[in-house]
Amino acid sequence: MPPAIIVEHVSKEFILRHNRAMGLKTRFLALFHQSKRERRERFLALDDISFTVEQGEALGLLGHNGSGKSTLLQIIAGILQPSAGRVIANGRVAPLIQLGVGFNPELTGYENIFLNASLYGFLNKDIKKRTKDIIEFSELGHFIDTPLKHYSSGMQMRLGFAVAVYLQPDILLADEILAVGDQAFQDKCLAKISEMRENGMSLVLVSHSQKQVETFCDYFVRLDHGIITEHGCFSNKSDSLIIAATESAT
Amino acid sequence: MQTSTIVPPSHPATGLARYWQYRDLVRNLVIKDLKVRYQGAALGFLWSLGNPLALILLYDFVFTHVFRSDLPHYILYLVVGVLHYNLFSQSVSQSCESLTSASGLIQKIYFPRILVPTASLLFTLALWIIAILILVVLYPFLGGIYHWGLLLYPLALGLYIAFIWGIVLTFSVLQVELRDLKHLVEIALMFGFWFTPIGYDINVLKPATREIIALNPLTQFMDLFHALLYAGTLPALSHVLIATGWTIATLTIGMVLFHRKARHLVEDL
Repeated sequence: MPPAIIVEHVSKEFILRHNRAMGLKTRFLALFHQSKRERRERFLALDDISFTVEQGEALGLLGHNGSGKSTLLQIIAGILQPSAGRVIANGRVAPLIQLGVGFNPELTGYENIFLNASLYGFLNKDIKKRTKDIIEFSELGHFIDTPLKHYSSGMQMRLGFAVAVYLQPDILLADEILAVGDQAFQDKCLAKISEMRENGMSLVLVSHSQKQVETFCDYFVRLDHGIITEHGCFSNKSDSLIIAATESAT
Repeated sequence: MQTSTIVPPSHPATGLARYWQYRDLVRNLVIKDLKVRYQGAALGFLWSLGNPLALILLYDFVFTHVFRSDLPHYILYLVVGVLHYNLFSQSVSQSCESLTSASGLIQKIYFPRILVPTASLLFTLALWIIAILILVVLYPFLGGIYHWGLLLYPLALGLYIAFIWGIVLTFSVLQVELRDLKHLVEIALMFGFWFTPIGYDINVLKPATREIIALNPLTQFMDLFHALLYAGTLPALSHVLIATGWTIATLTIGMVLFHRKARHLVEDL
């Protein structure tokens, strides 16, 4: 089996543009005023990062704010292009950077399921087969036919989460989001993730909490200022912990 | 897992199959825009019929009772021109902000970016097709001629849409870097209306002016539509070729520019 994700010598350089001219007026003023001129500064967010995630494995990306972990996740998700190196992902990737991407408040929950899922490249006929499970998991009941603007934020997150997990990704990329809603629903989310992991889903979890990563991941990579400062595995803990998580939910 | 596809996100396959996979995304985006637009309006989609109907009635009143034109069936001439110009101007001004207003989607998930301005164009087109239905109904009353050449109209319209698509792609991606573009475009579209033979016949102009107006690509397209829908003849081959040339030009520029800029779009939004 090929690895789920191969990250090869990935670097990402951002060009920070101070006083960026977005309009004609600023561009014109910049001709006369030194201070209004655009200054460019290079910023290396990721420097030569390499690692592999095998199928069914879970990797935790640890690091402080600004360490580059979310940038790396965006590159794996294909949202950002690396400046150098490459990322190969085998399978359907579902980025959970935000729940319910593309949700429109004017549309009903049911209509939003289709909008959200088609952003992941799903066809409506495939989504239709999953709507029953999604609605059931989200526990929205008959609210599913009311416009999203009448939902509480918890209800919106539950729907977003339900769509993401029922798309059955091969690789789940999560940015701190692994569980939403109240305690009971959070347990349900965690149990669902464990179930998907057992079925062979790979997981990349970005977090600044060592504890969260330890609970879910087999391996971890710690980033600091764009370089890997530490990496390792949580020896054999993962299996027992995942089973524990499943049990606590049932 | 029923549908496991191999999608290396940072190196998306360039094949058309990749875009085809997202066809329902385009459909859902267009339907969303249509639903949101008519949310709460009791008459819903009927409003799309009201606008062109009002236009035709107004022109009919003004140009039979207030002004007189030498062109026979002047209202048909005018309505054909105005409706087709509207398709252009509405698509182009709508699409300018399509990418910038979809930044929430673009920053959170990968999908082919080209689908955003394309969905914006198709949304305008969907509304426009409803408008053109009014013309179809009123066509015989305005003096329209039924002839076999009308069967070529979908081809002419297709060419026109492809031409607009190229411009839409170009402007949507330029708007990201130059936020003034939308305002400039709106002014240019006002001038464009009078630099296109919509309310007048190009042949009444002085030769020098005619040369300038003929440089406008829209003039060529208007000629196709006027020939087919108004005069009841086939358009001159030279006009068809020039229009095709313009279409190839805008599509090439639009596609090349879009593909070059799309890679780093996220960082500029």
